[in-house]
Amino acid sequence: MIPQSHFLLLGAALFSIGLFGVFTRRNAIGILMSIELILNAANINLITFSKFSGSTDGSGQIFALFVIAIAAASAVVGLCLVISIYRNSKTILVNKINLMKW
Amino acid sequence: MSGLAQLLSSHGISHDFIIKATFYSIAGLTLLFALLVVLSRNIFHVAIYLAMALIGIACVYLYLDTEFLAIVQVLIYVGAIVTLFIFTVMLTADIDTGPMRGMIRRVSVSALVSLAIFFILTNVITMTAWKDVPPAEAPVSLAQLGKSLMTDYALPFEVISLISLAALIGAIVIGKAEKR
Repeated sequence: MIPQSHFLLLGAALFSIGLFGVFTRRNAIGILMSIELILNAANINLITFSKFSGSTDGSGQIFALFVIAIAAASAVVGLCLVISIYRNSKTILVNKINLMKW
Repeated sequence: MSGLAQLLSSHGISHDFIIKATFYSIAGLTLLFALLVVLSRNIFHVAIYLAMALIGIACVYLYLDTEFLAIVQVLIYVGAIVTLFIFTVMLTADIDTGPMRGMIRRVSVSALVSLAIFFILTNVITMTAWKDVPPAEAPVSLAQLGKSLMTDYALPFEVISLISLAALIGAIVIGKAEKR
């Protein structure tokens, strides 16, 4: 069987990669995609702990389902904001959007 | 399955080895696609890489005995969210985002911070004594999942439906073209 720590290491690696993407992407859509990677890393951890702690009511899976639902809602609203910003300022590069910055 | 297993074991390949080999190749491919998500320059390609990485994560869910979540992952993430990303990419400009001034410094500092966090997490995970063999209980069935969703977790479930409704209405209001 695969040991528990390897699932956790996969989650940690995915989290770090997503964090790097959030830091370096200029495109607002790219930042949202990196956030999806981070949320998936959290899901892997939730399900791993749920399986290896032997919970019988599936609470880890239910929390992962909630995370997926929240991620879908946040992606919808975030992409809507991106389209709205693009309509107003004709760019979605975050270093060019400085309407509310001094 | 038994025929294939017999064929492989006759060649000296055990069932455990196949499980490990497929898991580590899937994990490696997932990490590769995740790296391509943050490193690729063309934002449309990034959406495709994200879909591949999410499919890889769905395969990892299968190794954790959560078939329902794997299906949900493919349906909602790959089917809905990535499609939404691709639509947004098509509706906005700046597909090819070149480097900006001072980008090299920013990338190196970001890589440093991310690697530092990764090493801290790795140290914590490897130093902790985890249970490496899961308890022998049967995996949670879909019926059990639905029951606890409707009894113990009924309130969070309703809150999620409220959030979905709010996101729906908010998306319509924000995305609506203003009257000139």
